[in-house]
Amino acid sequence: MAKQTFTTGQVLTASQMSSLQATAMGGGSPSVKTTSYVLVAADAGTVIQMNSASATTITVNTSLFSAGDSVQIQNIGAGTLTITAGTATVNSAGSLAVSQYDGGFLYFSSASSAIWFDYTQPGTTSPLTTKGDLYTRTSSADSRLAVGANGTTLVADSAEATGLKWAAAASGGGMTLLSTTSLTSGSSVTISSISGSYKNLFILGRDISLSANDNVNFRFNSDTGSNYAFGRIRLTDTTLIGYSIDAETQFEGLEAFTSSAWNKEAFFEMTIPRYSETEIKSIYMRTIGQSPTVKKCDWRQGSFNSTSAISSVTLFTGGATYSSGTVYVYGVS
Amino acid sequence: MTNKPQVKIVNAETGEEIIRDANAEELAQMEIDAANSQARKAEAEAKAQAKATAEGKLAALGLTIDDLRALGL
Repeated sequence: MAKQTFTTGQVLTASQMSSLQATAMGGGSPSVKTTSYVLVAADAGTVIQMNSASATTITVNTSLFSAGDSVQIQNIGAGTLTITAGTATVNSAGSLAVSQYDGGFLYFSSASSAIWFDYTQPGTTSPLTTKGDLYTRTSSADSRLAVGANGTTLVADSAEATGLKWAAAASGGGMTLLSTTSLTSGSSVTISSISGSYKNLFILGRDISLSANDNVNFRFNSDTGSNYAFGRIRLTDTTLIGYSIDAETQFEGLEAFTSSAWNKEAFFEMTIPRYSETEIKSIYMRTIGQSPTVKKCDWRQGSFNSTSAISSVTLFTGGATYSSGTVYVYGVS
Repeated sequence: MTNKPQVKIVNAETGEEIIRDANAEELAQMEIDAANSQARKAEAEAKAQAKATAEGKLAALGLTIDDLRALGL
């Protein structure tokens, strides 16, 4: 029953009392709407029931209701009903959207302002639908963030409606193996087309042996000019010596030996920081070469006087051919 | 079967490996490198020989390298 104005001495019928009681208890016959609707003054104290498969609105305007008036609103249709502030203000603790079989009541605190009390309080229903979904919130309502693709990670992003998004996992620092090369033929091996996408280059050589005792030397970008220099500290058994050489045509490398027995091989590791930049390159190298009678360890630091990015490395001997060995080229992020 | 020196080139991007005979330019560079290598070896051997000779002379005088070090030489 709509809101009534009673007069002194007025006699109410049983039907009127039953209707009034039902309304007062939150029930009563609803006024069914099937399309969007604008509340009118006569709706005070009644139940408005929306039944539409499509989205609809119920609009609230000012100067129609008095402070203390209320209107119950229900939605039994599949379409979402949205309580819409027309000329009046509508406050709410949560969303003004009313999904199917949800409802609430609109309580007027003044002729121009109402409060929407949703039967379903924020947080009491879940927007989640799928395994892995996340319960998030937009600026005005709870929201579902669908699970991301495998391997992606959650990233804060204020440009997104929920402030969150799924993104490819950021690659952390680390080493990426760019090439594995066997030293099994000839006396010159070149590893070319080395990606310049990394910060540093790390080159590792293992189990290197030769057809005759010889040095394994290095050139970058096939540069045979006098652009290499290095200082060297060398330990041969118990003898320690050191010297430096400038303007060489090669970066003198490790001493390697014949045979591939474990104690007759040579190993090295070389680091070239910022190898792809247009600056002179610094080179840091450690080696060990083991013959049956002599163990030789070397520590050397040098430079490659070139402003070109290093994109190839050549390992060559003084004439001996490779019997064994593997070279690993890593890009270091 | 070839007797020419071979070079191996590995493309780090594609993994493609090429093993072929050294071309004229590479052969010329290899000869230079081999000559340099021999010169270094000869120099190292000469130094080692000179050291051995000097140690022999010291020994003939009843001295050792440690004796020279003790003298601050």
